[in-house]
Amino acid sequence: MHDFFGRLAGGLARHVLNWLQRRVEPESREWVDALIAESECADDGWQRLRWALGGVPLLWTIDPRNLIPPVVANIVAIAGLYGVIIPGTYAAAHAYDCQLYLDNRPGGCQEHALAFGAIAIGGSLLGLIIALTWRARFAAFWWAVFSAFNTVGSVWYLRSGIIDLPRYGATQSAMLMAATLGVVAAAIVQANLETTNSRHRITAHLIAGTIGFALADSLVRLRDSQPLVDNVSHLAILASAMVATILAGVIGRESQPTHVQRVVQGTVPGV
Amino acid sequence: MPRLPNTSPQTLLVLELLLESPRSWHYGYALSQLTGLKSGTLYPILMRLAEQGWLETRWAEPEQPGRPPRHTYRLTGEGARAARAKLAEAATPVAMSHRLAYNPGRG
Repeated sequence: MHDFFGRLAGGLARHVLNWLQRRVEPESREWVDALIAESECADDGWQRLRWALGGVPLLWTIDPRNLIPPVVANIVAIAGLYGVIIPGTYAAAHAYDCQLYLDNRPGGCQEHALAFGAIAIGGSLLGLIIALTWRARFAAFWWAVFSAFNTVGSVWYLRSGIIDLPRYGATQSAMLMAATLGVVAAAIVQANLETTNSRHRITAHLIAGTIGFALADSLVRLRDSQPLVDNVSHLAILASAMVATILAGVIGRESQPTHVQRVVQGTVPGV
Repeated sequence: MPRLPNTSPQTLLVLELLLESPRSWHYGYALSQLTGLKSGTLYPILMRLAEQGWLETRWAEPEQPGRPPRHTYRLTGEGARAARAKLAEAATPVAMSHRLAYNPGRG
C-alpha cells in the first residue's frame, strides 16, 4: 500500500514538473530546468512531489504571470477591455447627444467619426498592449483584428465621409473578414516559419496579408451581387488585411521565439 | 521599514553554507538537504543571488547516463566578500544547528 501511494506521488510529481516546464517561457526556463534536474535526486515519490511543488513559488519569482492560466488571461484581456470600450462609447454618445446607429442615418454617431474612431482605435490598441503584457496570445490576435479594422475603417470613413449604406456595410464586413483572415494566415506563417532572417519573415507576412485579402475579396464576390462588389473599396479591404498581418507579426515577435531560436537555446527536446 | 536585500535568515543560511567552500560548485538538492530549506524557498534565493551577481551558475554534465545536466552554484568574488559582510552584520551565528557534514560537489 505504501509503495502504491509512493508511486502515485511520483506520478503526480512528474505531472507537476511537466506543468512547471510548460508554464515558463523558454528564455527564462533555466531555473525551472535546474529544479527539474535536481528532482532526480529525490529518494522516493513523496520527496519528489515535495520538491516539485517548490517550483510553484519559483514560477512566481520568475514572473507572476506564469501562474495565470492562458484561458483566464485571454478572457480577462478580451472581456475586460470591452468593459471599458462599451461604456466609453455610450458615454461619448451621451456627451455628443447622438444615436448609436449601425448604419448612416442622420443624427447618428458616425457624424463624429473622429471621436468614435479614436475610442475604437485606442481601445483596440490598448487591448493589444494589455494582451501582450499578459502574454494572452489569442486576445492579442483578437485585438489585432479590431485594431486593423478600426484604423483602416476610420481612415477610409474620414476620407470618404458618410456614404451610401450598401457600399459602407459591404466594405466594413469585408474589411473585418480580411483582417481576421490576415491574422489567421500570419499566425499559421509564424507557427511554421523556421528562419530568423527578418527579410524572409517580412516577406512571409506580406504574403499572409495578400492571402487574407484575396480570400476576403473572393468571398465578397461570391456573396454579394456584382454592382455592389464593384463599389466596395478594395483598397480598404487590402489595407485591413495588411495592417492586421503586420500587427500579428509584431505579436509573434513579442510573444514567442522562433523554432530556430528555441533550438539555439536548447529548449527543443531531442535537438 | 523594508528589509535590506539578502538579510533574511534563509538567505544568510545559504550564504553561510556557500562560504564554507567558496570555490567549490554546489548542487541545489544538496543545498536544500543541508540547509533544510524547501525547493520553493531555496531556488528563488539562488535566483536572486545570481541576478545580483553574487552567484555564478554552471550546467554540469550528469554523473549517470540518461540523467539531465545539473545546475551548480558557487559564490563569485564579489558575492563571497558581500556574504562575509552580511554574515558579520548579522552578528549572531545563523542556524548553526542546520549544518551537517557537507561535501560540496556531490548531489
